[in-house]
Amino acid sequence: MICEHCKQRHATVTVTQVHNGTKQERHYCEVCAGKFHPFQMELQDEPVSIHQLMSDWLGLPIWKNQVQGEVQQKQQPSTCPSCGFTYRHFLKVGKFGCARCYDTFRDQLPPVLERLQADVKHVGKTHSGEHQTEYYQKQIETLRQQLQQAIAEERFEDAAKLRDETRAIERKLNVGGVDSP
Amino acid sequence: MNIEHFLKNTSPSWIEGSEDYSDIVMSTRIRLARNLNGFRFPITFSEEEAKQVDESVLQVLLSVKEEGPKFSYFPMKEMPSLQRQVLVEKHLISPHLAKREKTASVFLTEDESISIMVNEEDHIRIQCLAAGLQLHETYAKASKLDQCLDKELMYAYDEQLGFLTSCPTNVGTGLRASVMMHLPALTMTKKMNVLIQTMARLGMVVRGIYGEGSENLGNIYQISNQITLGKSEQEILDELQNVVEQVIQKERQARQQLFARAPIALEDRLYRSLGILKYARILTSEEAASCLSNVRLAVDLQIISDISLSQLNECMLLIQPGFIQQYAGTMLQAAERDIFRAKLLQEKLQIQEQNESTVRGKGEDLYDV
Repeated sequence: MICEHCKQRHATVTVTQVHNGTKQERHYCEVCAGKFHPFQMELQDEPVSIHQLMSDWLGLPIWKNQVQGEVQQKQQPSTCPSCGFTYRHFLKVGKFGCARCYDTFRDQLPPVLERLQADVKHVGKTHSGEHQTEYYQKQIETLRQQLQQAIAEERFEDAAKLRDETRAIERKLNVGGVDSP
Repeated sequence: MNIEHFLKNTSPSWIEGSEDYSDIVMSTRIRLARNLNGFRFPITFSEEEAKQVDESVLQVLLSVKEEGPKFSYFPMKEMPSLQRQVLVEKHLISPHLAKREKTASVFLTEDESISIMVNEEDHIRIQCLAAGLQLHETYAKASKLDQCLDKELMYAYDEQLGFLTSCPTNVGTGLRASVMMHLPALTMTKKMNVLIQTMARLGMVVRGIYGEGSENLGNIYQISNQITLGKSEQEILDELQNVVEQVIQKERQARQQLFARAPIALEDRLYRSLGILKYARILTSEEAASCLSNVRLAVDLQIISDISLSQLNECMLLIQPGFIQQYAGTMLQAAERDIFRAKLLQEKLQIQEQNESTVRGKGEDLYDV
């Protein structure tokens, strides 16, 4: 599809507007969308300035952090903080080094799993989860302590990572512990 | 339970046979892969972590309540390599576990129907074996044990991906269900290659029973599910059951066709194999396996009736290098093994012969009188 505005570039952004109860969809290229879309400014910001991370830290919307996270992951090969595996190393040996790898490489997983498996979503037996909640809570506690220390030592990049990890676990805790039978 | 029991016993519970389809399906195996939270996978973990994992599984399994299965615990480090090899040949441990350098162990029940490997590729691998085709029953057994462990330990589990495993080919259910099948007629009529390809398209893998590379030694194939994620345990088992039943039908048809087309030629071939097993002085494992396969087919077709299936199952185990050396009581070169193999098989089949002659002796006495 071609951008509705410049009529030259490929349209990659869909903007849905609801005006007086009628829904309108418009398709723009990234350049043109940037001119219309109110959030585009932030997308084009330098992703890894400490200033930026600090302002994220102070409570700007979460969705923006996620976008940034993705940009970062595409740019630099991530390394698993627990076992030191890189994605390339995983491809080489065909095995993960630890359970944490599944989080670290979550974005790269679907194509791998699609090739090997029927789907990318588990539908079988679930675990009892009795100890899981306890475990996650302990983990969060440890991470929070590390986080405080990182802030105290002004290691803001580490702090940001630790915060993301804490949030990921909190999310699991909210989804997991309660409703599994 | 002493390790000697597991090394000497050549007729564990799952070898008895006599369940449904026991003429074609030799045994069923269910394996569940599980990992513990907070420890890296065995591929990267430290010796310290290995010990802790081993310790925590040990505590749970040895404190299993009265009604639960009773386990004997064997650390790999203390086991001589020949003993390990015998356990590998009995499918009680994997070759991978036998080679581990860090702390690793195996838990076995007395009847050898359950084996739990610790620190193999994953922290825990629960394995249940049964005779004949019993996919659902065997899974139920494994699953019950899995729940016991789940209560006491913290499994690495992800809401989206299920049970996390070192290899992404096991993630999700962690379930690998395998069925060991004896398919001589399909092999003789050269239908296996097409069948293997068809099964691959249905998400099933076919391997030789004596491990990778031993393709179809003794015409025994192991069929197992490939997919572990995106399907429930029930679906996986149902699909495998379905495929296996179809293969059974095909094998039976092929047997009937073979027998109908050239009964004497077939009988000749099968009896010759029995002759080789009884009178040869040197037997390679390939020849022994193929002769045993023929005799087994003859028993199934009721051409030969004085040898039992369980006896043949036992011989199938005994012809492997580890067992031969265990029998000889010493390490042997390949050529020496072939001599011992012939001797061992003769002994096993001779026992039957003696019984036979005593029966006939009595008969003759009666006739004379």
